Amino acid sequence: MNRSAIVLLICTTLIITPGSSLANPGGNGDGDRDYSCGGSCHGDPALSMPSDATIEITLGNEAFSGQAVAVHVTIEGISTPTNIIGIFILGSVNGNSDTPEDHGWHLIQDPNGGSSNYIETKPSASASITATWVLLSPTNPGIHSLYAGIHHGSYSGDKAYSGVSEELEVTVQDVPEGLPGLANDWIAPSFRVSGDSSPLSISTRNSTDIRVEWMLEGEWNPISAELSCKENLEDVCNDWEVSIPATMGDANILYRVTTYNGTFAIEQPWLKMGTAPPPFEGDVWSARAHSFAFSLLVISFLVTLQARLYPFIEREGTDQTQIVVSSEMIRSDENPGWLWNPETEQWVEDPDYHGGNE
Amino acid sequence: MVGAATFHTAMAEIVVGSMVLATICAIGCSISRALPVSEINNEALMVTMDRASLAGSVLALVFLPIAILSGNMAADGQTESALLYNKFVYSGLALGFWSSFVIGRVRMGAKLWEERSLAILQSATAGIAFLMTSMASSIGGKLVRGESLFDVLPFWLPSETAAILPLWASTSLLILGITSSALVFRFTLPKITRIE
Repeated sequence: MNRSAIVLLICTTLIITPGSSLANPGGNGDGDRDYSCGGSCHGDPALSMPSDATIEITLGNEAFSGQAVAVHVTIEGISTPTNIIGIFILGSVNGNSDTPEDHGWHLIQDPNGGSSNYIETKPSASASITATWVLLSPTNPGIHSLYAGIHHGSYSGDKAYSGVSEELEVTVQDVPEGLPGLANDWIAPSFRVSGDSSPLSISTRNSTDIRVEWMLEGEWNPISAELSCKENLEDVCNDWEVSIPATMGDANILYRVTTYNGTFAIEQPWLKMGTAPPPFEGDVWSARAHSFAFSLLVISFLVTLQARLYPFIEREGTDQTQIVVSSEMIRSDENPGWLWNPETEQWVEDPDYHGGNE
Repeated sequence: MVGAATFHTAMAEIVVGSMVLATICAIGCSISRALPVSEINNEALMVTMDRASLAGSVLALVFLPIAILSGNMAADGQTESALLYNKFVYSGLALGFWSSFVIGRVRMGAKLWEERSLAILQSATAGIAFLMTSMASSIGGKLVRGESLFDVLPFWLPSETAAILPLWASTSLLILGITSSALVFRFTLPKITRIE
């Protein structure tokens, strides 16, 4: 009875345990997502709860149509500071077609170095975080909306928290004639390979000159980078090569471009460039051969070891003729076909016995 | 149609489940022989655990190549990270250890558990085989979900850096493996029979 109860208890525990585990504790990864994350726990009214965190969204600089603008999202008072948190920048909170791209904005860089409207990160020890997106403003001037949203879990794993900021109304102004800026088709590089010191290409528009400052993330004193124009035009130059030092390990470089048209200057938002490990050079066929080679070598080694440890016991099939011939055997009428060996004190087969017809 | 990655996950789950059973029972067989016979630790328990370990390991061994092949297809001919390269290597090691376990048990029979040294070797083989399988599975978790159950453990076998061999070196190693296997079976096959 007790044994049955223990087995039942173990089975019940095993069945219940997965149900109480976290749904997606590792997150879903950065990407372009609508706020409701269609079908996720955060979009399910039965499972979701409003987050206690305060969310603030602010603009880093004046917005001109088609020009780069920095948007800062500050989150404070997160109830699960040691867990992962998902942060959105949104053009609406309708539940579909929410991304800024759907509302005329163009994402240049997200806080993780990619170009997604949803990123996952971990807050600081003080349960707060500031994340900065760099976007190109919509080309049509006027008032445009932006929102910031968050998704996070609870330590017990039973609730999916969601939060959304107040609406940020951004007044996008007309671009003055000849306003210098970043080219619309230029994509800021997210990463450079570790140790790569090749020049960074930057495309601009209406610029007669640019200035690039860089610093390592966490530093405060920017350094001016050497640069050269790739074109040989007298006035305007829109293709530049900038020398930014190579980075190693996990270092991130922040850089800021200031575009000039004559004496008129526009300071662009800070951009981030991470360090990627060198590309992996493994070959799939090499991996397959390596795998099966190890498999066969392990089998060889262990089968050899099994043979080594195997107890070699004398078997019935062993030829005992010599033993019988060289020993003083005693034949007994009570055991026909068998001889008694007094030396080893064992019965052995009589090689001369042929079923009683001797 | 089910994608290769989904099929691979299903196969991997069957393999891991069977191997958990096989490993627990193999270690149980060794412990059972080391402990004195009692009402619980009796011959029936021993026979049950031995058969369960054999059944679990044979089932896993049948599904392991399918899991490896479907993983190969899911990888789409790419080894773009050290994690994926190591997944291949750990899968091969798991296949080697599980094959050795089954070969030993089939060739020597259930009485191998009576031999202390063989019993220890057999249960250690099962334990290491399970560790290799778990590593391969955990790397799968790392690749897909960015985390693994092994993250909570204080130790972690090497997985994020790989000793990459050029194709000629891997091929040479494979030829060495085939040759050594052929020699080992050629010279040990007549010697080993079931322990009576």
